[in-house]
Amino acid sequence: MGDRVTNVRRVPTYCYQCVAGPDLLTVKVEDGVATEVEPNFKAADIHPAEGKVCVKAFGLVQKTYNPHRILTPMKRTNPKKGKGEDPGFVPVSWDEALDLIAAKLMEVRAKGLLDDSGFPRVAASFGGGGTPMSYMGTLPAFLASWGPIDFSYGSGQGVKCTHSEHLYGELWHRAFTVCPDTPNNRYVVSFGANTEAAAGVCGVYRHAEARGRGAKRVQVEPHLSVTGACSAEWIPIKPQTDAAFLFAMIHVLLHERRLDELDAPFLANHTSSPYLVGPNGFFLRDPHSRKPLVWDTGQDKAVAFDTPGIAPALEGRFRVAALEVGADDDHWSHADVVGVTSHTMLVEHVRSYTPDWAAGLCDVPAAKIRKVANEFLDHACVGDTMEVEGRTLPFRPVSISLGKSVNNGWGGYECCWARTLLACLVGGLEVPGGMLGTTVRLNRPATNRLDSVRPGEDGFMAFPWNETDREKWTSRPTGRNGHRMLVPLAANSPWSQALGPTHLAWAFMRDKPEHWPEATAPDVWIVYRTNPAISFWDTAAVTDTMARFPFVACFAYTMDETNHMADVLLPDCTDLEGLQLIRIGGTKFVEQFWDHQGFALRQPVVEPKGETRDFTWISTQLAKRTGLLEKYNAAINRGAAGIGLVGKAFDFSLDVTREHSVEEIWDANCRAASAEIGGEPRDLGWFKENGFLVTSFPRLDWYLFPTLVDQGLRFELPYQERLARVGTQLGNRLHESGIDWWDTQLAEYQALPKWKDFPGIWEKVLVKHGHRPEDFPFWLLTSRSMQYSWGGNVGVQIIREMAENIAGHNGVIMNAATARGMGIADGDTVEVASHINKVQGRVVLRQGIRPDTLLMIGQFGHWKTPFAKDFDTPSMNSLTPMDLDLTDATGSGADVVRVSIRRVGGPR
Amino acid sequence: MSRWGMVADLRRCVGCQTCSSACRHANATPPGVMWRRVVDMEAGDYPDVRRAFVPVGCNHCDDPPCTKACPSTATKKRADGIVTQDYDVCIGCGYCILACPYQARGKIAEPVAAYAEHGRIASEEARFDPRTIGVAQKCTFCVDRIDEGLAQGLTPGVDPEASPACVNACLARALTFGDLDDPVSTVSVLLARTPSFRMHEDLGTGPNIHYLWDHGT
Repeated sequence: MGDRVTNVRRVPTYCYQCVAGPDLLTVKVEDGVATEVEPNFKAADIHPAEGKVCVKAFGLVQKTYNPHRILTPMKRTNPKKGKGEDPGFVPVSWDEALDLIAAKLMEVRAKGLLDDSGFPRVAASFGGGGTPMSYMGTLPAFLASWGPIDFSYGSGQGVKCTHSEHLYGELWHRAFTVCPDTPNNRYVVSFGANTEAAAGVCGVYRHAEARGRGAKRVQVEPHLSVTGACSAEWIPIKPQTDAAFLFAMIHVLLHERRLDELDAPFLANHTSSPYLVGPNGFFLRDPHSRKPLVWDTGQDKAVAFDTPGIAPALEGRFRVAALEVGADDDHWSHADVVGVTSHTMLVEHVRSYTPDWAAGLCDVPAAKIRKVANEFLDHACVGDTMEVEGRTLPFRPVSISLGKSVNNGWGGYECCWARTLLACLVGGLEVPGGMLGTTVRLNRPATNRLDSVRPGEDGFMAFPWNETDREKWTSRPTGRNGHRMLVPLAANSPWSQALGPTHLAWAFMRDKPEHWPEATAPDVWIVYRTNPAISFWDTAAVTDTMARFPFVACFAYTMDETNHMADVLLPDCTDLEGLQLIRIGGTKFVEQFWDHQGFALRQPVVEPKGETRDFTWISTQLAKRTGLLEKYNAAINRGAAGIGLVGKAFDFSLDVTREHSVEEIWDANCRAASAEIGGEPRDLGWFKENGFLVTSFPRLDWYLFPTLVDQGLRFELPYQERLARVGTQLGNRLHESGIDWWDTQLAEYQALPKWKDFPGIWEKVLVKHGHRPEDFPFWLLTSRSMQYSWGGNVGVQIIREMAENIAGHNGVIMNAATARGMGIADGDTVEVASHINKVQGRVVLRQGIRPDTLLMIGQFGHWKTPFAKDFDTPSMNSLTPMDLDLTDATGSGADVVRVSIRRVGGPR
Repeated sequence: MSRWGMVADLRRCVGCQTCSSACRHANATPPGVMWRRVVDMEAGDYPDVRRAFVPVGCNHCDDPPCTKACPSTATKKRADGIVTQDYDVCIGCGYCILACPYQARGKIAEPVAAYAEHGRIASEEARFDPRTIGVAQKCTFCVDRIDEGLAQGLTPGVDPEASPACVNACLARALTFGDLDDPVSTVSVLLARTPSFRMHEDLGTGPNIHYLWDHGT
């Protein structure tokens, strides 16, 4: 076979199909045909995982040549939309397709960018974790030139992400996501974090290395995941009780171990533990400076927290004269009042959260909970230090990881708070070996999270809250999910809309709550690399809702369940065909911690198939046809495509008045990128040849702690005074607006979170809708698939072939003994029903799952996507209700649902 | 003379199947033909369960049953330990498939395409080898890479250009390749310091995939 090949090349490029990317690879091209993916061996020395490449990248060759691809623009001919309607797509020219879209967009500009409800008339939805950004070329520049766009319509956010961590993590330690300092870590307690499936190449590599040197990970989760399989111990906890386990761990450290075994100096000097709390639950403050007070044991008096040379008391009650500032206008002047240290408040708060208490809730023996807590402390090396690039830092090789459904919805706040607090108790937050944030998406700038640290109130980092005071509160939703109005923590960065309660944008179109603007459909909805008709909650309802959107433009790879509702399909060059330069390196989710930073190029490895077009060309055409070319070019010059073209020592800016070719645009970006990192300007040709360019990234920048020390700031833990105030003010504002349907969510704003009956919430929902909880006795969970997650690759044969080697990719996983008791045999056909829907599939019997739990891996249930529609694999997404009662204060919901299961037949 | 072998560290393997897909790419095997794959295994009963991922494939045995079963001499063992398969000589009788205790061999009777109803896609067409139809096939330890690498002065198991694709691709460094007769090769060092086993060792085939597994010891 090799004899007839005349020309063989290996072309460097990147894969960013999942949030754990990018991976650097080469593609072998034989006589113009892509045939083989390999790691880019030249990246072995600069990449955290020797330049290895995830299994998903090996699907790119078939992805390119998939015969089901849409290779020409199409327009809809059947005006009726719906699952049962044939769209009647017919091929059209690019001119006709772009004119159709441009005409709709110009109509919008003529009517005004906002509709009568105040919502943007143009909406856009993109896929998971920002990955489409690495494939959409200069589309961000077009979006920036347009004006307000509603990114409210979610396609999985909130229910499929670690939503609580995103918001609270950024508040507490600039941690959009959190992970261990794995190369230095020795002990991880993982509550369902599916690292080996979801943390990409770097996660797999780093944790394998950790296991190789004897690090221990305890996996606490209802089913034995891929990650559980790779852990030293599996603890099968009852679903939705993780907060109780974590609270009990705190109890053990505070009530069963001595204070001098914890990192008391860290608590006293680097957290708010010594801050005094007043009788109304707010910090006691100096009446003049309004700074929080601490009790100085040296002078035996209360002083402002930042008074030099003090020795703050960590524990105790002290009589002080102070000002207490509550929500809105509330304030109390105390001439003589008892102030309690935040640490003492904490100690008393967790007194009843004993391991024996948690055991009953979690269905885990108290001794096991106690053992994990003690191991956590015993591995923490409290008092040890490590030198990093000449700076001596605490060394605390312990961490706690939280998985998706522990980390969103009800209980997410409690779990995030508890795990971050546990790190503080041992001085292990943002230090070598300990628990680290990865990057920021709410704070700015996003390129290095340390640069986002600025002094804020009360000795904490500033945080860009959505304001809740009377003057600044956003009293009407600016987008259809109301992120600025309902979720102060969501901030208002370019990512914030997508991190709001994105399901509400869908849900309110069916059932608008009181005192909310009319839930209008967007005039134009743009969709790229996402399929919410499959990937969100209650997918049947989402599908019906999007069918009501008047004009939908989908960038389309193959037909799928969402673009079935489209009016125009635009076939873009896909992964191995397009051109784009992106940033790589530094620190980034999920476990990307590099000693380098720089840029990597994605380039046309092969000629584009059919009439597909480069995304940058499409974006330029849209800008031109809507009269926005000058603004679009200016946005590119500012860096909307990823790199600012003008720097202190360079100017590669484009002439804003004329149209530029794809190559011209990316050549300028390549030159600016190389100049930005201080090197000789490298042009597009150089990047095409070499693939990537990096410079060093300081190891010290992996850790936030030094930056806080340098700025004299503290971690905002344990006592959430600010959060409690914000919650009260938000409640005041909403009530003033007549809104009481968010009251349940307001209960989450607690200074010290209490255990609530989180599992019971699902039972109450069933009762509310007229059902008996005992009729839905199982917890249905899902689990990420490394082969599929975020990839948009369900139509790729080799991916299916690989995934089928992992148990459960073709059915519903169930405990074997439970099944036996119900007369269900392996491979039988079963029906799984929630109170809103039911699905059928084959059952896969395993030992590694709790008797009360079922598992459906990934997100399937396709009915339109070629190849995938023949899988016959059920998805939980059509069973999960979109319910306000299941929505937490951050606007997310846990990815679980109560279900029944019954045998309906033999093997399918 | 070298004696090539592989070490699979079961403490590291995460079952991602990257090795399997890299093998499919490097050897242009058709859908369903995985010379390297990773088996997802469970042992024990709830709640005392272990789950492990076990890479499997041809063991390039010291005393391979397949060569004895082969009536056509298509299957041979090289001096460096690699068990080869000559498609031009193989008559497709399948005896070797039955003889292999590792289920490492297979045969496809007809060409298989990823999207069957559409015929072979461009990448399949570019590398389609009609000689592979109707004959036995299996893992070769990427023998072509090894031979070409050695000819260039490279070291299999060290230099990726001279190493099996599955080893190059392994995210977890669970797969290691090298010369079992070289006491300082990575595979020899790993085997010297870590408990290991070989699959069906009692059959006396002398398999050359060694599994590192020190749990419970």
